[in-house]
Formats: sequence, structure tokens, C-alpha cells
Amino acid sequence: MTDLSDLIHTIEYPYTRSTGPYLGPFLTGLRDGKLLANTVGGRTYCPPIEYNPESGEDAPATFTEVGPGAMVLGCTWVTDPSSKHPFSHPFAFAMLLADGADVPFVHAVDAGSPDAISAGTRVVAQYRDDRRGAITDVYFVPEAAAVDQSIEPGDEPVLITEHLISLVVREPLFPHRRRYAEGLLSGRLLGQRSPVSGKVVVPGRGYDNLNRVPLTEADELFVSDRGTVSSYTVLTPVQYYGQKETEPYIRCSILLDGTDSPIIGVDVRDIALESFRVGMRLQAVWRAPAERKVDGLDNRFGGSWEDVIERWEPTGEADIDPDSLKDYTW
Amino acid sequence: MVTGSDFVPTDDDIAIVAVSQTPAYRLWNDSEQMLIMRCVNDLLGSTGMDRNDVQFTIAGSCDYLSGAPFAFVSNIDGVGAWPPVYESHVEMDGAWALNEAWHRLMLGDIQTAFVIGSGKSSPGTPRHVFPLQTDPYTAAPLGLDYPSIAGLQANALINAGKATERDFAEVVARSRRAAMSNPNAQVSGDHSVDELLAKPHYSSPLRLHDLPPISDGAAAMIIARGKRALELTDRPVWIRGIDHRIESHHLGLRDLSSSPSTKLAGEKVGVHDGPVDVAELMVNFSHEEIILREALGLQDHPNVNPSGGPLSGHPIMATGLVRIIEVARRIIEGEAHRGVAHASSGPALQQNLVCVLEGGN
Repeated sequence: MTDLSDLIHTIEYPYTRSTGPYLGPFLTGLRDGKLLANTVGGRTYCPPIEYNPESGEDAPATFTEVGPGAMVLGCTWVTDPSSKHPFSHPFAFAMLLADGADVPFVHAVDAGSPDAISAGTRVVAQYRDDRRGAITDVYFVPEAAAVDQSIEPGDEPVLITEHLISLVVREPLFPHRRRYAEGLLSGRLLGQRSPVSGKVVVPGRGYDNLNRVPLTEADELFVSDRGTVSSYTVLTPVQYYGQKETEPYIRCSILLDGTDSPIIGVDVRDIALESFRVGMRLQAVWRAPAERKVDGLDNRFGGSWEDVIERWEPTGEADIDPDSLKDYTW
Repeated sequence: MVTGSDFVPTDDDIAIVAVSQTPAYRLWNDSEQMLIMRCVNDLLGSTGMDRNDVQFTIAGSCDYLSGAPFAFVSNIDGVGAWPPVYESHVEMDGAWALNEAWHRLMLGDIQTAFVIGSGKSSPGTPRHVFPLQTDPYTAAPLGLDYPSIAGLQANALINAGKATERDFAEVVARSRRAAMSNPNAQVSGDHSVDELLAKPHYSSPLRLHDLPPISDGAAAMIIARGKRALELTDRPVWIRGIDHRIESHHLGLRDLSSSPSTKLAGEKVGVHDGPVDVAELMVNFSHEEIILREALGLQDHPNVNPSGGPLSGHPIMATGLVRIIEVARRIIEGEAHRGVAHASSGPALQQNLVCVLEGGN
């Protein structure tokens, strides 16, 4: 039996951002071991700023080096770093004013102990060995802990900065989804019938979204695993980050017998596209019990069809009139 | 004491006619739609309205929180998916949904609106989600999270000589004690300041109890224009004004020990044009109460956050709307006549909305 413990999803997106005429030189500077600033309205900004915040006028894209020393104006000691922080051990985030600059910025200080940092503490920029043209190339340490670094400048300016966003989402299967998942593992499709309209939806949502009525276990029933194609499309996979599909395939909706809303997102890979059609009768062929799994299931629309149903087989019955399926395309 | 101004509502004034909120749950083990549906059914029940009588729907929610793309679309299920609603959405707290609905009703062609705020923070990790709101080049890659930014702000407040860690603990002690009489609160209790100060720091000078809990929940209201409001309730709560101001997203450009945006919003909306019987402030981190009281001229006010505030329950995207509901509820129940509600968004009180409410028919 597949574990029905918490759902865990990781949502990732690798942002690649163009750096532009201000942050580009700044990030190039970090890669090359320098803190760069620009000046507008008589004030020097590190990191450089695109506009004068007082007036909105464009700031000049000309840069001077500031630092490497900086003054701590304020700080917080992070006792329990998150996996997104620059250090896995406790450290400080601090408001830092680089020597030669007039406006502070927030960055991380690897101070060793909360007693080693407070307003007025002098710190110095240090650079990581693996520099990528990103704000994380630099960090700061108290003056006494700074070491001299010899950094070779890179060849090309930093035109792109990368940031992989990754969020982990964890939640239990909602009670009605858990019962639905247990049904799938036992080779049955569990639906919910609204006590108000009598309409049967599979999988149920836990409520009737037309009449705003919560649905409970008492409203549940097993439905047929035989039905009619009510709509379909052919997906040709685009090779985006995370894409696992390589070949075109059919994605269809099937109106199961005795239900009032089709199951959606059913992928078909073994029926020739030329013979596939709305109105076609199909029968689920379930995987062997030991092969069924539901760990691809979420708490929303997904039916996790391919993890429990091996394929959908044409029954050979006469087609249903497509006109009668017009209200069941989705 | 319940006092009034000389305000006489007209048909162009807009009132809150019914309010509803779910408790703040550490984990609501069902869908966000169900939370919304509970509020919507509650509002329809208390006003006797049919869902189709409410002419506009606007909701505030954030898909990042529960990691479900387009969750805001399925949230409409909670209102009823058919017939289609005239709908709008803000990726902001429900307080900003109210701001939009209030402006929408001012146009005069429709009379009523649902305003909804909802969120489930429990599936994700707010500390990972919210750095994504910060500057994508200079802050987000550092994982600059809200508790850390709040720590920097609290430290700035101490460095400016405006507060001490004991002041923060006093805010927590008072909030949690107040929450003991709030059935929707998630965190409450009777704690001494010394007991709180004995706890270790989390993001210094803040301790874990200076942070809001992680909560799931929803809140909603129906608002209506003058004549319709009086048909729907004999206890309308008039929206006297809403103002919203934003500060720079560059933390280095701000004086973190004060909130000029809140101060300006409070002045524009006329917080002190009449007596303030009650104030609900969106104090997500304890030190923010000190900054907000100063900005709104409520330093010594005896009735701030009688609900316990967000420190006792923080359903992100509903928290600000709950502040407005808590003030409205006290006016409806006759405990107050005029009150102030505040909502914030962004790191270190970057954006602030101030709303003045007043009873009377």
C-alpha cells in the first residue's frame, strides 16, 4: 500500500534576469572583488541606483569603488538560518554603510557570535571562491577576521544573474482526497453526489461549487470506470525547465457513465490519433494492485490517472453522439 | 465610552453591512474554498441576501502561500461558481480588496459587493516565500526573510532610543491576554513580561513570541451604498475613509524606526477628526505596535488591538481585513461608535492602509 502521508511538492523556477546598465556593472564588480557605487543628488549609493529617489531623475551610470570596509548601522542575529540564507550557521543581517557611500544596504555578516556585532562595528567585504555575478558573491566579516584576497577579474561583463527559486509545499491529503486516494488504490473511482442538485462529480471537491454546500463521506459513491471521450487535444511538449515529456500525446476528458462532470487531464498514448474522437467509448484498464500508487495526487484537480490506470481501452461500443457531450467538454 | 461625530450618511456613503471570519487555524485540513464558503454562507445568512443579489466580488489571496498556481480562480468556488460573478482579485491582503470595492461602489452603478481575504500559510514556509517579494537582484538571493527584516527594524527602534525589548514583551503579553476572550484567536495566554524576556532570541532583538503564528483562515464582508445599506441592516458601519501609502522597497532609503506612510495615511483619512473608541492595528511583529501607535497618534490609547491582533492569529491575506472586521464588529455590537483599522503589506511596514469606520443610521 502506498503511503498516504503528507503531500510534498517542490515548485522551482530558475530566474535568469538581465542585469542592465546599473546592476550589471555592480554585479560585475562583485565578481571581480569590488563594491561599486554611483552618485546622484549629492548622495552615493551602493548598490548603485537607477534614479534619484528624491526627484525621479535618471542617475548617471558611472561608477566609483567604495569599501571594502563598512560600518554596521543596525543588525539582527539570525539564530536559526533558513535554507535560503547565505550561511547555514547563525549569522547577522546588518544595515551596512560602505566606506565612501551615503546610503546603507542590507547584507550578511559572518560574525561568529551575536556579541561580535552591533551598531558601530566595522566590517569588511569578503568574496566567495565561487562567484557567479550575484549579490551572494560577497559577504562581510568583522574587521579583525578579514583576510586579504587576491581576485582575478573576469573577462566579460555580467549581463545575466541567475536565481533558482525553490519552494517546498507540504500538506496532508484533505479527508475527502484521502478517501478518493484509497479508492484508487483499491481500483475504484470515488465520486461525490450533491444532496441539492443530485449531480455526481469525480473526484469530488469536498463541496458542491454550484450550491455552496460542503459534501461529506455520506455524499460519496463509487462510479463506473467506463465512459465517453468528451473532449481532447494533442500536446506537443515544449522543452521547458522540468519538462519530462518528449513525444506528442493525447490529453482528453472522459465523461464516466452515471456522472455529471468529466474527469480531466487523462493522457492517452496508445490509441492512434487518427482514430481518436469525441464520442468514443473507453474502459479503464487498471494496473495490478501492487503497481498502483497515488503519490502524484494533489489536493486539487489531478486524478493521478496514469499511476493507477495503465491505459484506456476502446470498448467497441457504438459512439455517443458528440452533440450530446457539448456541455461536458471540461 | 461611546461617542459620535456629527456625521450624517448620504446615499453616496458606503457601509459595511455584515462581517464574517473563520478562526485562525494552525492547519486547516481542507481547501481554502471551504474557508471562503463558510464566510460567504454566513454573510448571506445574516443579511438574508441571495448570492445573486451581491453585484461585485473581490478577493485578496496569494497563490505562492499554498503553492497552488491559479488558486485564486478556484477560490471563486467558495462564492458559487455559477452563474458567473462579476469578479476582481488583488494579490494583496483583503483590506486592499475592500479599498478597491469601496472605490468601485463609489461609481454608483452597483450597490453591493463581497470583499474576501483568505490564505493558507500552513502548506508552505512563509520564511521562504516572502523573500521573493524583495528586490530580486540585491535581496531575494540572500533569503532576506520577514523575521530578519523585522529584527533589523526592531533593532533600529532600539538604536533610536524609541523602545526596549521590555516594550516588545509588553505588547506580546497584552496581545495574548486580550486574545483569551477572542474565540478566533490561535495563540493566547497570560504571560508575564519577565517570563517572555527570559526566552532566547530568534531574530534579535526579537524572540519567537514577537513573531506572528503561522495560520490558515479567511474573512469576508458585504458592503453596500447608502440606501441599500439601510435596507440590509439597522447597524451599518460607514467607511469614512481609506488611505494607502507606500514607502521605498530599498530598505536603506527608509528610516525603519518610524512609519511616515502610516502617518500620512492617518492624516489623510482624518483619524483624529473624531474620537477614536477602538483601534485594530496590523501588528505582525510586536515592535510594529510601537511604530504604528506613534504614526497614528495613539501612543497612550487604552483600546488598541482588543482582539489580540495578528500576534494571536495571522491568516496572511486575511489579517488586514480582520482588523477592519474587528473594528466593525465592535461598532455593530455597540461597544464603539468610531474606530480606526490599519493593514500593512510588504517588509518592515512598507505599505500601510488606514481606514476610519463610524456607526450611525
